[in-house]
Amino acid sequence: MAGARVVAEHVSRRYGRALVLDDVSLEIAAGELVALSGRSGSGKTTLLQLLGSLDAPTSGTIRVDDIEVQRLTSPAQFRRDVVGFVFQLHYLLPSLSAQQNIELPLVAAHVGRSERAQRAQALLEEVGLGDRARALPSDLSGGERQRVAVARALAGRPRLILADEPTGALDSSAAARVFKLLADVRDNHGTTVVVASHDQSLAKHTDRALHIVDGRLVEPAEADEPARVIA
Amino acid sequence: MTSLLQTLSSIRHRPGRTLLTAIGTALGIATIVALLAVGAGAQRSAGQFFHLGPADFGLFQKDAADPTTSVLPTSMIPKLERLPGVASATPFVLIVEAVPHNPGVVVFGATPHNFQVDRMVFSAGHMYTNNHEAVIGNGTARQMHVGVGDTLTVKHHKLRIVGIYHIGVAYEDTGAFIPLPVAQSITGRQDEATTIPVLLKVGARPKQVKHEIERHFSGLTVLTDSDESLRLGANGDLVSKAALVIAVLALVIGGIGVMNTELMAVIERRSEFALLSAVGWSGRQIAWRVLVEGVVTTVIGAAIGLLLGVIGAHYLVKILGASEFVSPHITAWALGRALLIGVLIGVLGGLYPAWRAAHVSPARVLAQH
Repeated sequence: MAGARVVAEHVSRRYGRALVLDDVSLEIAAGELVALSGRSGSGKTTLLQLLGSLDAPTSGTIRVDDIEVQRLTSPAQFRRDVVGFVFQLHYLLPSLSAQQNIELPLVAAHVGRSERAQRAQALLEEVGLGDRARALPSDLSGGERQRVAVARALAGRPRLILADEPTGALDSSAAARVFKLLADVRDNHGTTVVVASHDQSLAKHTDRALHIVDGRLVEPAEADEPARVIA
Repeated sequence: MTSLLQTLSSIRHRPGRTLLTAIGTALGIATIVALLAVGAGAQRSAGQFFHLGPADFGLFQKDAADPTTSVLPTSMIPKLERLPGVASATPFVLIVEAVPHNPGVVVFGATPHNFQVDRMVFSAGHMYTNNHEAVIGNGTARQMHVGVGDTLTVKHHKLRIVGIYHIGVAYEDTGAFIPLPVAQSITGRQDEATTIPVLLKVGARPKQVKHEIERHFSGLTVLTDSDESLRLGANGDLVSKAALVIAVLALVIGGIGVMNTELMAVIERRSEFALLSAVGWSGRQIAWRVLVEGVVTTVIGAAIGLLLGVIGAHYLVKILGASEFVSPHITAWALGRALLIGVLIGVLGGLYPAWRAAHVSPARVLAQH
């Protein structure tokens, strides 16, 4: 499945008096692997949430392919069919096995039980956990849980993966493996992948890096300086 | 429809909360079952009481506040017996709370020979033959520790016990019979009766005879079955209404209990619902999951409650000291109603938590973590 083209124009998000995102405009090509770097509280998470319809912008427009995200009548369906999320914490449901966790988006999409199991098993193989289908999250290591979370994000065959600090809670080797997994997703499926991280070194392994400072996108060289809008 | 198995696994994963919620529901349901069973038993006993054994009809004064306050003239009996289809009619005077220290003993004033008392089987002694004698039921004898030769006091009138009988009707076996003139004297109502049981001729059509009686005697209520007996008096209404009030209270209290527990669970599991929302579950799917969890938990509780209620009903009548008169009457309908109330508690108690779960903001919750 081809990746999605993402366009944001003059997007701002305000929570009360706090302006968290300030007039952000960007364009991400289909199948691109993009790093979104910035310090904690810079607005990375908010931007990803807006792109994925978890939240709505105060002003501006966001388009994913032909879909105007802020005008969705059923954001749940958009998230089910178009987007896959990976969070810093895995958010696996503790009562469900690895396979059942991966099946969650498919349950929402009314996919039949046998097809769900088949797709979940294939994804477990893809993330290198083919033999851990029945394991509960409590039986998995931190890196394994996050790989299951990546598999869950892929279950709905999304065109856009939004990963928010996916390696933030992992040691360096587990982090490298999870990041490689996300890169493989782009390479193998052509999925557009946006990875938010406070680790600027991540940008070396992506097609392009976007830097965000105090809610504004800036040139890479100026990431540690006062913001200068680039788009 | 979301996966029921996944929902159930969530319940299994929280055995402590599931058990506590189920116990809360079980206690509510057990209370309903026990009270409905005791209420139904009381209704049945009351039905027997007002119907008086083998009689086809029981005649009472119309609009009496309570059947025991009914007053009928005994002069109507010969006219009654002349009606087609009527085999026999006999006057009864009912006196309640007349035996000192034994308020539950109902005293019946009756003639020594009629179709009612002729059914008495005497385990000791015989029927009274004069106005200074009385007979008591075997239940009364056991309860009061008295026998033939002892004295029965009915509102200061002392009567010698000459017989101990068994009829097979709870209220009569735990009561006493005294001569009709004595009972009329005690109540100050000469030539009057509380009720007149009527026996029909073989082959007579009850509806037709009832119609004839009502046509000839205005101001009468003709009771033909136990349920009808209950409609006559305030006591019957009271029992029915009390059962209804208890069921409604259980529904409200149980519902609030389940809602509170479910709400706590929703607050504790906000990140779970936020995640479900993030991976594409609609609000309706999330709400359904919470509702199903609530209903499954309360149905488990209801099942436990049914069992506790059946056991509790028997203990309840013992604790109330009413086991002599009332035996719990457990019907499939009573159990069905309790189960239905359990499901209703689950649904009503789960509605608000389900709504809250459906409206968890994934952006806010997942960002907080």
